[in-house]
Amino acid sequence: MNIDNFFLAPIFLPLLAASIVLMSKSFFPVKLRRFCEYIGILIGLLLPILIVFLLYPYVINNGSLSIVIGSYTPKIGIIYKFDSLSLVMILLTNLLSIPAWIYSRKVGPAHSYFTALVLIQSATIAAISMTSDIFNLFVCLEVMGLVAYVLIASKQERSAVFAAFNYMMYSSSSMVFFLLGSFGLYRLTGSLAYQEITKTLMTLSAKEQNLALVCLLLLIVPILLRVAIMPLSGWLINAHSKAPHAVSALLSGILIKIPLFVLVRVFSLSPVLQNLTLLLSYIGAATALIGVLFALAQSDAKKLLAYHSISQIGYIVTAWALALHHGIDTTIGALLLIAALFHSFSHAIFKGLLFLSIGTATDAAGSRDVYKIRGVNYMLRQKGEKFPLTMICFLIGALSIMAIPPFNGFFSKTLLTYYVKTSIHYTILSIAGIGTIASFIKLSRIFLPSKEIKKPIKELPTSKFPFSIHLSLIILALLSLLTGIFAQELFGLLENMFISTNQRPIKATIFFSKSNLLKTLYTVLGGILLFIIATNKPGSKILHKLKSLKTDFTDQYLAFAITIAFLSSFLLI
Amino acid sequence: MKKTSFFKIFLTTFIISLAVLPIILSNKSWPTLARDYLFNQAFNETGASNTVSSIYLGYRLMDTLGETLVLLVAITGTMSILLNLHKQTLESVETESSLSPEKRPQNALRTNLVEVVASKLGPIILLFGLYVMLYGHISPGGGFQGGVIVASAIVFLALGTEVKTKLTNSVVLSRIEAFSFISLILVTTYVVFFTDGFFSSIATDSPFVSASIIILLNIIIGLKVGTSLAVMIIAMMGGQHAH
Amino acid sequence: MLIERVLIFLIFITGFIGLISMKNIIKKIIGLNLLNSAVVLLFILEASRIGDKAPILNDKIQNIVDPIPQALMLTAIVIGVCVTALSLAMSVRLYKTTGSLDITIIKERLENEY
Repeated sequence: MNIDNFFLAPIFLPLLAASIVLMSKSFFPVKLRRFCEYIGILIGLLLPILIVFLLYPYVINNGSLSIVIGSYTPKIGIIYKFDSLSLVMILLTNLLSIPAWIYSRKVGPAHSYFTALVLIQSATIAAISMTSDIFNLFVCLEVMGLVAYVLIASKQERSAVFAAFNYMMYSSSSMVFFLLGSFGLYRLTGSLAYQEITKTLMTLSAKEQNLALVCLLLLIVPILLRVAIMPLSGWLINAHSKAPHAVSALLSGILIKIPLFVLVRVFSLSPVLQNLTLLLSYIGAATALIGVLFALAQSDAKKLLAYHSISQIGYIVTAWALALHHGIDTTIGALLLIAALFHSFSHAIFKGLLFLSIGTATDAAGSRDVYKIRGVNYMLRQKGEKFPLTMICFLIGALSIMAIPPFNGFFSKTLLTYYVKTSIHYTILSIAGIGTIASFIKLSRIFLPSKEIKKPIKELPTSKFPFSIHLSLIILALLSLLTGIFAQELFGLLENMFISTNQRPIKATIFFSKSNLLKTLYTVLGGILLFIIATNKPGSKILHKLKSLKTDFTDQYLAFAITIAFLSSFLLI
Repeated sequence: MKKTSFFKIFLTTFIISLAVLPIILSNKSWPTLARDYLFNQAFNETGASNTVSSIYLGYRLMDTLGETLVLLVAITGTMSILLNLHKQTLESVETESSLSPEKRPQNALRTNLVEVVASKLGPIILLFGLYVMLYGHISPGGGFQGGVIVASAIVFLALGTEVKTKLTNSVVLSRIEAFSFISLILVTTYVVFFTDGFFSSIATDSPFVSASIIILLNIIIGLKVGTSLAVMIIAMMGGQHAH
Repeated sequence: MLIERVLIFLIFITGFIGLISMKNIIKKIIGLNLLNSAVVLLFILEASRIGDKAPILNDKIQNIVDPIPQALMLTAIVIGVCVTALSLAMSVRLYKTTGSLDITIIKERLENEY
């Protein structure tokens, strides 16, 4: 075993851990099983993070390591390539799975199968980030999808099962189109590996080039469905809001970002696809705005957070699309890609924090309606929480998403909007920021004291509040604070990885400039204004109309077809 | 209401057919590069005469690993949705082919004919399944195909009453399944990390030795697929406490 | 030549229409199965055009078909079966908890629930 093979360890370590967990389930008694689960998480999630840090020197300056699995010829074998994008994706997955798993020990699904599924998900995402072969990408995307469906359906409630069923039908049928696209590409080029396909596609005749573009579109749109940008996001609301809380954190944090960064590689298959990227950036900006509008209209706390996930993924898609538009080998393109990666990282952290804290709060209150619940702190006290940690962590998460310093949301959103300054995207994203603040003011009203007369606090029966909830919330809050404070250094590390030495930008990005801070102030004031408008009569009438818009099963497919038609007409005409 | 949904369905189907038709009906000739290379080199590099086996267990081993993971996750999900795994007791599954002997009068589909024939056929099908598993490298067959046949054989054994065997006990089956999963991961780790041209050096001496990894992988995959499918079907028939 | 591919396309479209327009969820699952089967048949059919013998090597054989799509389709078939199994389990659970297999009625009954 040498360094050429070593980078495959983040795939095989979690699988080894999952097999140990499953062995312990069949052979050992219950107490030993929980011990094996802890060992499994240690080997499967923590060890790959250490390995990824060891591999950092090999990926600076856009370096990469690649190998054919089993050392066969690259014409038939599968090539795996590890580069800086893979490093960030593996780090994101493993780092965010740990707090979600800790949270689920007491509250969520706590059987050994849950641990094994989280480990399998981590291994699959490591494989997706490294693969250079279309059919291997298909298999790994299906595994990732299946893990998501089973995790959503593990709540044993009928609405969760229906949400998982809806997602499964939609996503599996779109993967059939992916398979058709890979059929077309294999027929045209004779190979399934990215490099071979890129080489051969350039030598084809014009009519075959058009066919190749249709095939590539059929590869791209099913992956965009997993990312949940606007017309294709019908599945996300129910899937993320009805799942158990730890699973919602995992889904919103990890599973909607990974397909987007895999698309960076798929878009490199043909240079003609670059024409699509400007259109995709406008779609991303529109998603950000429309997502926030719908979020403002919701009454269910978890549905509100799910619509915010759609809006934030719109931000990330905008930056990603503009990065591809300029080309990721130019300085400005790489900086935009870094902005997208940094925002997905911070979004995963603060969205996890929000889902877990709101989940605890709504469990204690017994309902999810933000108009009716008040005084959640009292109910949490009833459950045994002595110090209002849940409320503090919710506030940290809310301040992050509203982009207020010194939390990481401020740094990542500033970074993102810095590089799109001179275009219409800037305006749309700023309006979306105002909407975010308004809806989070609305959400945080549940912590206001309620007007009923309650028993004085000293007489409450005290039960023990699970330590695992506090531990996971503290980990996420600390991560949010630390990535905010050390944002400049992290940004420098990312620059080292993605930009080669001779192209480094001369000026560093300044976060605390006067205009940035003024802009934050204006956004907060605009948010408060919007909130006041939204809670008065005319505003709430419009929002009520938005809330009662219903889509059914067929509409999702109509959206899918329209997306394909729209993108293909843009490319071919 | 009816008209708008008809219009939506028509529009969707029309757009999808437009996108899919050129791919299905294109007349480009199928590329022969892969076939020529494999025709010349597959036996020397992997030791298997069945080219399909040499592809999915040799060249494209990661796909097979992903496929096994799909099966594991799907069976876990199916059992947890149907049986409420996180509770310690199983819900009572009432079916007409239930395995528990005390429900015999209500099991309308458990006739004497089914029981006798199934128990006689069970071992024969098991033998056939093992044959398909073990000979996967020189004739059509392999781990997945043999595994499915083994699973149906175990279900036959469970349906019959003339046979008293531990093979239909869910605990034994899930132990075999967990053991075969960990051996699959260990063998795959060995092939990926520690080979570096293992096959090409040995193949010239003795094709049987170089095919040994393929035979081993076939057996492990067959056991995994067979036992996991059998556990799911026996659990759905309520057979946890039967034998 | 052409007729086989047109028939595969018809199977594909039938599966797709079944998936999107039928109200019964079991029929939707059957539609998904038809979609998968159409693509599998397409791969195998087109790959068999370049040869006429099965890809089992021995001393005398010449002109085998392309074995790569056959190996790929093994994987695709297993994935299709797994998705079918999971979706059928979900539909059993939905039937037991809502009392209906019709997707519009299930949506109605789940409407007021959080």
